[in-house]
Amino acid sequence: MVTLVKRAVAECIGTLFLVYFGAGAAVITLMIASGTKTATPFNIGIGALGGLGDWIAIGLAFGITIAAVIYGLGRVSGAHINPAVSIALWATKRFPTGDMVSYVFAQIVGASLGSLLFAASVGMDAVTIGGLGATAPFPGISYLQAIIVEFIGTFLLMTAIMGAAVDRNATPGFAGIVIGLTVAGIITTLGNISGASLNPARTFGPFLGDLLLGGSNLWGFFPIYVIGPVLGAVCAALFYDWVSKEE
Amino acid sequence: MKCYVCAKAGKDTEAVGICIVCGMGLCMEHAIREDTQVWEGGYPFPATKTQVKIPRILCEECRTALKR
Repeated sequence: MVTLVKRAVAECIGTLFLVYFGAGAAVITLMIASGTKTATPFNIGIGALGGLGDWIAIGLAFGITIAAVIYGLGRVSGAHINPAVSIALWATKRFPTGDMVSYVFAQIVGASLGSLLFAASVGMDAVTIGGLGATAPFPGISYLQAIIVEFIGTFLLMTAIMGAAVDRNATPGFAGIVIGLTVAGIITTLGNISGASLNPARTFGPFLGDLLLGGSNLWGFFPIYVIGPVLGAVCAALFYDWVSKEE
Repeated sequence: MKCYVCAKAGKDTEAVGICIVCGMGLCMEHAIREDTQVWEGGYPFPATKTQVKIPRILCEECRTALKR
């Protein structure tokens, strides 16, 4: 196994890519849709171009990036690129405490760098129009509803991770594509409800970028994207251990 | 089965094993038994070398190719 420093760097770079390409896809969609009239207040711009197709496109940008990072860096660090996943593996005694803390820190740094790098690549429109792809509950969605949605989405994601990768009987080689497509599917349905973060780091990066670059201050929503994903991932890991245990 | 390497040299020697890569029959002189390192892990755990090693029988050509 490579050193913890190298693994943390791999997590940092992997999460940077996730935010740059995934949240970046949401920014680009909002920039392309900027100025178009939306049919309902529930539609903030994503969906103005191709309806649910906009969310499929954003979901696939996330999913394909996740698959690329899993296949590219999975052997090095495990390619969690999500604090909720690291915490769930730690909570079920599969991952050491020191490694978990280092991974979470690296993921947050990587997500922040990804957001700032995207803003540097695109310009200030990425902040003022696209909000750097930050997640927030959509109009009409309450704080609690958003937490529930994030919980359910991350529960499904972590269940897929447990079944396709953690389980010793999982078919090798499929984890990247399965988990990437799972994230894409979840984002397609839940994107227009809570933003479908499923990942505290993915939300932290754009929130910090927006704050530093003069965009919206959305930190009041941050607990949604910690409580929902972390609880969802931990519950899914515990659920999988219970449901798959032979008597 | 006869040893392929010996047969090429005009000798007739019984094979005692088969190269796991190319399937060549090998006599005691030409068979190379070597332990191969096993890795486990990958997503979502970093890959690690296991304590266990798997023994392999190889011919000289395949052994050289695998070492590259």
